[in-house]
Order: sequence, then C-alpha cells, then structure tokens
Amino acid sequence: MFIYFSHLVNIEVLDKDDKLVGRLYDIIVGQAEIYPKAISLIVYQGIFKRRYAIIPWGLVIEKLDNAIRINLSLDEIKFSLLENNRDKLALKRDILDQQVVDTYNHNVIRVNDAHLLIVDKDLMLAHVDIGARGFIRRLSFEKIVDLIVRIFNKNSAYLTKEKLISWKNIQPLSINPVSKTLKINVSQRQINDIHPVDLSEIMLDLDRKHRLALFREFNTATKSAIFSILDFPQQKSFLDELSDKESVEIISNMPSDEAADLLDELPRDHVNKILTALETPKAKKLSTLLGYKSESAGGLMTTEFFALLQQMTIGDALELVKLDISKPETMQYMYIVDDKAHLLGFTNLRKLISLDPKENILKAKFRKNLYIYPEDGVKEVAVLMDKYKVNVLPVVNEEKILQGIITIDDILDHLINIAWRKRSKKTAAI
Amino acid sequence: MKNRFKTYRKRILIFLAIMGPGIITANVDNDAGGIATYSVCGAHFGYSLLWSFIPIIFALIIIQEMCSRMAVVTGKGLADLIREEFGVRITFYSMIILILANIGNTMANFAGIAASAQLFGISKSLLVILSAVFVWFLVLKGTYKSVEKVFLVACLFYVTYIISGFIVKPDWNEVVANVVKPKIEFSRPYVFMLIGLIGTTIAPWMQFYQQASVVEKDIKIKDYAYNRLDVIIGSFVVNIVAIFIVVVCAATLFKSGIRIETASDAAIALRPLAGNYCYLLFAAGLFNASLFAASILPLSTAYTVCEGMGWELGVNKKFREAPQFYWLYSVIIIIGAAFILIPNINFVKIMLVTQVANGILLPFVLILMLLLVNKKRLMGEYANSAFYNVISWFVVVAMILLTIILLFSYF
Repeated sequence: MFIYFSHLVNIEVLDKDDKLVGRLYDIIVGQAEIYPKAISLIVYQGIFKRRYAIIPWGLVIEKLDNAIRINLSLDEIKFSLLENNRDKLALKRDILDQQVVDTYNHNVIRVNDAHLLIVDKDLMLAHVDIGARGFIRRLSFEKIVDLIVRIFNKNSAYLTKEKLISWKNIQPLSINPVSKTLKINVSQRQINDIHPVDLSEIMLDLDRKHRLALFREFNTATKSAIFSILDFPQQKSFLDELSDKESVEIISNMPSDEAADLLDELPRDHVNKILTALETPKAKKLSTLLGYKSESAGGLMTTEFFALLQQMTIGDALELVKLDISKPETMQYMYIVDDKAHLLGFTNLRKLISLDPKENILKAKFRKNLYIYPEDGVKEVAVLMDKYKVNVLPVVNEEKILQGIITIDDILDHLINIAWRKRSKKTAAI
Repeated sequence: MKNRFKTYRKRILIFLAIMGPGIITANVDNDAGGIATYSVCGAHFGYSLLWSFIPIIFALIIIQEMCSRMAVVTGKGLADLIREEFGVRITFYSMIILILANIGNTMANFAGIAASAQLFGISKSLLVILSAVFVWFLVLKGTYKSVEKVFLVACLFYVTYIISGFIVKPDWNEVVANVVKPKIEFSRPYVFMLIGLIGTTIAPWMQFYQQASVVEKDIKIKDYAYNRLDVIIGSFVVNIVAIFIVVVCAATLFKSGIRIETASDAAIALRPLAGNYCYLLFAAGLFNASLFAASILPLSTAYTVCEGMGWELGVNKKFREAPQFYWLYSVIIIIGAAFILIPNINFVKIMLVTQVANGILLPFVLILMLLLVNKKRLMGEYANSAFYNVISWFVVVAMILLTIILLFSYF
C-alpha cells in the first residue's frame, strides 16, 4: 500500500490501551538501503511547549485509518524538549521542502511530499513528489482542488500524472551537523555516474554550503574534472572555501593547461603558495606555462602529450600505448623525438597498427612536420589546424624542442569569443 | 606609511567590488511610490512627520543588515529559507502577500509613468504600454544588467531635491527641531501617512531583493563588514533624499497651501530650482525612477516566488522549461500596467495607497525574518543579538499597532 507522508504527519499515535500518546512529527529512515526503511517515529506532545519522544518502528502494531497504534503504554515513554538524532535522516527535516538532486534528469528539485510504501510491517521511502498536486496536498487543499479540476477535465494531467521520482534517482543533500558531510554517501548512488559537465551545472544550482558538501563527496579525479569545467569566478569561490590541501590536490589532478589558466587569474601570493605545495614536476610545468601570455599557443598548450623516442620500433610504441602511463590529454597523435626532445615528426595509431611492428618508428612518421611556437596566437593555430585538417598541434621552442601540445578544444573558447566580439560589433554598427 | 596606504587602497577596492546590493536596493526604493509619498507628506503635513525618519533609518539599516547577514551566512535566498524552515503553508501565504504587495508596487510605478506622460504632454496609454513592453523585453533579452547602470546614473535626479533644499531656504531651525522632536498624532490621515512613509521606505520586497542580490554576489563572511557598510550607505542615501523631498515640498507647497492631487502639483516643488522647466525635470526623474523599479519588481517577485515554490526559474531558461516563472513575470507587468489604463484614475492616490499596503504587509515578512535570523542552527554565532531583536520586534509591534489604529479610525 502506498501512502503520502503528508497524510501521516500529525495523525494520532495511540498506546496499546488506546490512550493518546501524541501526534506524529517525523519519521527517521535508514541511510544505507536503496529504498530506506523507517527506523523510528518522532512523536510530539503539547502546543506551545512541544516535547518529543522517539519510538522504534518495531513497536508499531498497526496503522489504522487515522492513527498509529504502538506496543507500549503511555507511562513507558519519555518525552524531552529537544528532538535529537540530528545525524540521522529524517523525512520532514531532511527531505520535505529541501532541495535534492534528481540524478536521472540531472537537475536540482524541491521536494513537495514523500511517497511511502507499506509492505507487511515495513515502511519504505519509495518516491518523492515534486508536482503541483503534492504542493496542494501539503496546503490541505487537495480535495477541493481535485474536485474543481475534475469538473473541468476528468482526465487532466494534474489528476492522472503524478510527478513522482523514484528514491533511487534522488540524492539528498542534507548535511550531518557533526561531520559536515552529506548524510547519504554518494559513492553507492547514481549521482556518482553523472558526467562532470552535468555535475558542474547541478553544483551551480545549489547554495554554497550544499555545493561544498556535495563536491567534497566525490573522489579527486571527479573533483578535478568538475573543477576544470567551472568558470574562474566559480573556481575562486570554491578555492576560498576549500582547505589548502584540498585545493592543491585538485589542481595537481587538473590538466596542466586548465590548471595554468586558473593560476593565471589568481593573486601572486596565492599562486606561489600552491606551486610550492605541488610536486616538483607539476609545479615546474605550471610555472613554464604561466610564463606565456594566456592567449598565445604557449598559454593554451598542455604539457601532457605522448612522445616516442626515435630509436623505438613500432612494436615498442604500441606497447607504450597499451601501458598508457603518462595519461596524455589526447592520443590522437604521437610525437617522435630524439634524445634531446627535438621534434622529428608525428604519427597516429592507424599508421602504427597498419605497419610491421619490427620496423623503426620513423617509418610511421607523416611526411610533413607540423608545429607552432609558444608565441603564436590563437588565429595562427586555427589557420594551421584548418589547413592540414588536424585537431592537435605540437608546440616547440626555437631549438625545436617539444614543449607541449595544443588541442582544438583549447582554442575553441577563444575562437568563439573572437567570433562573438565580431558579431556584436556588427550588430552595434547597425 | 606606504604600507598603510596600500591596505587602505586594498580595502577600498574590496568595498567597490562588494558594493552594490545595498545601494541598488536603496535606489529602487526611491520609486514612484516613494516620490509620491514623500511629496504628499511634505505638502500636506509640512515638517511635522520629519521626526519619523530617524527611527526609519535605524530600522531600515537593521532590517536590511539582517537580510544581508542571512544571505552571507546561509548562501540562500529569503524565500528558500522560509520554505525550508517553515514548510509549504507559510511559504504559500507569504508568497501571496509578496505578490499582492508587488503587484501594488508595480502598479504604483506604472502610475508614475502615466503621470510623467501627462507632464510631458504625451499620451499616457502610449507611454504605459511602451514601457510595459520595454520592461518585458528587457528581461527576455537578458539585457537588464547593462541597462541598470543607466538607471543608476539617472538617479542623480534626486540631487535636484537636495539642491532645491538649499535654494528654497527653509527654516533650518524648524527642520532640525522637527527631526529630533517627535510629534505624535492619532488622526486617521496622520497615521495613514505614517504607515505609508514606513511602508515605502521599508518595503517588503526589499528584504527579498537585498538577500537575493547578496547571495548572487557570493559575498563571503570574511568580507561581511564591507557588505554591512554598503547597507548602511544605501539606507542613509534613500532617507536623506526622502528628507529633502519632504523639506522641499513643505517649504514650497505646504507654505502656499497647495495640496497634491496630481503629479503636476508635486512638480511645483522644483520650481525654485528649475523655474518653468520644473514640470519637465520632475517628469524625467519620475519616469526614470518608475521605469527602474518597474523593471526590477516583477522580475524579483517571479524569482522569489519560484524559488519558494520550487519551480524552475531564471531568464536563461526557455518558456517551456520555466512556465510559472514567465507567467508570473508577465502577469505582474500586465496587471500593473492594465490597471493604470482605466480612465479617470487618480495616479497620486494609487501611488500613495500601495505604499500604505506595503506598510501593512511589512510585519508579516519581518516576523518570518526574525524567526529565521534567530535560528542558531542556521546562523550559528551570527544569530541576532538581543539588541537587534528588541529593535526589530519594536518595529513589528509598532507597525501592527499603527495598522490597528488605522483600521479602527474607519469605524
């Protein structure tokens, strides 16, 4: 049997001799199950000076039409002025009227009512109601409004289509006041499977506290991925709240071009603090990148690329690809270099696979050696990419030593900006 | 020495970055309803209500400061907090109050636009309809932010009252005596005027708007002192302008016994400054103030209500995604503008009565705010001090008492 939580709130709770114990205030549910089971009831007495008592769900005998009977007698129940159990998940306090994440539709919603399932003696949280009818039910206008709507249209969507969302697609955001973490851990829940792009949008719909609490639940890789997507003001807002240790952890896991973009905007002393805390190779890469102008190839490039030594065989190269230790940003092209890291040319996977693994890697090299210099601007990069139909270009210094690579998505933002500026100039001229 | 200068400079820069919510809210506060109420107050009551501005400044600072503090500490809007802490029922009724009050305020501002059209000598229906369409598109096209600066600059119009205040050479001794010495009366017009003064200066929408702007600016606790300064400056600006409007109208209109029935009567107050151009000057100022507030009020109402009800909201959503938001926004503009198109309506009266309605509705919002800002669970160490509570509850009780007195005066 399904029942709405709003129909249970305030109903009478009777003891085993049918004496009135109080009225139902809230229900505490478990935190581990997919559909949480009720653990206990919170019952209140009094009007001006409310007192609360917690009654284990196991003591509930039956749910009558408009009362709940429990297997205790009134004088066995102790009431107190405070409702404790702040660390537990309670329906009224933590779910009703609160914002939760709908992990199916990837948005933030506000809960109007909870839809409960009674099976045998268990009460389970099955859905949350986010529809207008749930709202009107809470206002206690359900009957009147239903009647009016029925007069006009018997089959209206208002009556037939409830906006219920299964609890398994819901990530509640209530925070445990002691540990400051979310009451329901995200690791086993669907929110963990959402793409960081969608997660970052969800984050923007939340207030600062919940945003931070939710963010902290993810592992470092996800945190860094979300962080890379945010705009600078949002990143800054996060950094203000995160501890230094957390910030460094996130930044060191970001692709170095994104990390450099972020550091570029931060005040000098803050950057130095982060750079000293980072591991040396990463810090070195970042400080080189920071030396370039942000709109130049040097400022846009990433230092994570896939390089092959000229002495290798094609077989060695393929082995390296399989190992994938260096975690480059893209594997579309591999760059062939000599011992001093001078760029000799580039190749791609198709070439490597199609040739004899015993051959030297230079056999797989494309004829043309394309590259750009760190000082080159976005437009030069775009022109070259367009001319030779490549999505990635290597960046070398004057001695032809490979510095990094620049991918088409790195320059896309800037190109869009340029295009927009032109467009708005045109419209302004009109 | 150099270091000291550096920290000062840094502080000023931080303040400039944080400044805004308080000052903008204050300037929107001086809308058509405000100008009308202060003008009528000066013209009909002379200096005799000037004393009320001291407690009003005080109360305004305290109330707006609480909203800012809640925004900074919780990171949530007022409607969000009301919904999460008090549930559906209280949210629903407080949103209805807000909608009603703001339809009234929007109406007052369209009345201001119509009145300025009369002074300009153009068709009032035309200007009201054009303005309504303009306001509606402003949000649809998302260009509000760029227009806001124009409005703010145009608010320099209020300076004309301050200059006039010195030109008309009022008896400053008398002015000061009336500011510091309360003279309380319990006649119906007097109480009506007093509620209107409080209602227009501390309007219920301001708390929602202020809190939302601070949340949007994402101001942090460590910068809160600057935010408070912003609130204090804003409150003083709005009240100093108000005092000057009252003084100028008292020194010109009250002295010559002119009662304000139409906007052109109110414009005469600026004659010592602008001569026969006073009508144009007043019309331009009134038009700007009205259009500014008419752009903000429907939008902020739609935001707040959708926030509280849990509906999709925001101008970056499509109509299909956020229908309630766009409906609310449009309906408020349409009702506000349509009412003004009714022939033979007295604009000044509308501007005045809606501000009295603000005053009557204010205590409801204040009570909810006070309950919220005292919740230790939400506010922690930033919950209200006893001093704050005494003053704010005093305002609540005073407003309720004044409303009761006003109601009884009709029997």
